[in-house]
Amino acid sequence: MINSILRFGLIFILLLLLQVLLFNNIQFSGYVNPYVYIMFILLLPIEIPSWLLLLLSFATGLIVDFFSGSPGMHTSATVLAGFVRPYVLRIVSPRDGYESGSDPSMMIYGFRWFLTYSLLIVLFHHTTLFYLEVFRLADFFRTMLRVLLSTLFSMTFILLIEFYRRGK
Amino acid sequence: MRNLLNFLARYNNLIIFLFLEGIAFYLLSTRNNYHNSRLVNGVRGMTSGIEKRINNTKSYLSLHEINEKLAAENIALKNSIAKLVRRESSLFFSVDDSVHRQQYLHSSAEVIENSINRQKNFFTINKGESQDIKVGMAVISANCVAGVIVGCSKNYSVAMSLLNLDFKLSARIKSNGYFGSLNWDGRDYRYAILSEIPQHVLVNVGDTIETTGYSAIFPEGELVGTVSDYEKFGGDFYKITILLSTDFKKLHFVDVIGNMKKTEQQQLEKLFQ
Repeated sequence: MINSILRFGLIFILLLLLQVLLFNNIQFSGYVNPYVYIMFILLLPIEIPSWLLLLLSFATGLIVDFFSGSPGMHTSATVLAGFVRPYVLRIVSPRDGYESGSDPSMMIYGFRWFLTYSLLIVLFHHTTLFYLEVFRLADFFRTMLRVLLSTLFSMTFILLIEFYRRGK
Repeated sequence: MRNLLNFLARYNNLIIFLFLEGIAFYLLSTRNNYHNSRLVNGVRGMTSGIEKRINNTKSYLSLHEINEKLAAENIALKNSIAKLVRRESSLFFSVDDSVHRQQYLHSSAEVIENSINRQKNFFTINKGESQDIKVGMAVISANCVAGVIVGCSKNYSVAMSLLNLDFKLSARIKSNGYFGSLNWDGRDYRYAILSEIPQHVLVNVGDTIETTGYSAIFPEGELVGTVSDYEKFGGDFYKITILLSTDFKKLHFVDVIGNMKKTEQQQLEKLFQ
């Protein structure tokens, strides 16, 4: 228990540092803003109680908001991601269910499973985030392009990090 | 009662979710009213220590370039001092008017946090109320328009960047004086759009665009950019794409300009509206 709190605390801090120090500074044409911190929500244990998941999402979003000076934006997107995660897990569940006490990692459930699972949640998160940011429906399709491109990049980084974790 | 408890137990996730989203949206809506940017300031105060450190490292890496820029600016200033034989444009002024010669007050500041990749970009500078920065002052970078101060805390100020969908600026074509309204379309951080220039006006690629003094925020004649492209838009007006002179990706040292006669001008204008 203590062990896993420590482990997730470490993942949390590492991802936040990556996001704030590295990815927030990638300013590539305004269409691509990878938000990798959402990976923290992806990695939490499968059997985590949903209230805890929601609270953790809230905290994550709030901290990212603090560092990007945009109160509320990341918070609402991340809370939504935390809310849909149990449903997404149910949709993509493997044929013989989840092993008890396991983490949703590529190592256990395979690349394709992890890809669908994370892609769905990242899409939810990015869609909310970018539409909230613009806060108007003009330029609907341009915002959609931003969502798709950023999702592509976030996913690339998330998969890279996950591969790295597996490699260790 | 049992029903209620059952209901709560069944939907507790949804309730927590809605509650947390409620808080998030509350935060979001307070932010949108950018004049009331207390929250932004409070938050920035908390993180500005870290941002300052990040920025220190960054500024160390670009010292060479900054030096060059400063040197260039120094020369320009020296030149203008040399040219500055005071021309009194007005023969009469009231005797108790101590500031009749000076309308704009400049002070320099450093950008410690900046973004260009959002739709509503803001940047933070390292001076605030204690250094006499006030809401509504103009921010320029090497004589090119950069933004407007929208919130001040004691030692920091947040400025709305030109790269913000809410930013509007009155700008004109230098060669013929026709003015229009300039704003950013959210696409590329290097370009902005100048609209409301009528189609009978002669526009050329490369024309200089500068500020008018109409808004009482920016002094007259600050550089905005050059025309990079124009097309007819609707029946009457051009849609002119402006290549901005300010490189927002490199924004570092800025000048904050306060208009000392702003209140006077606005009060007078109010009388006739």
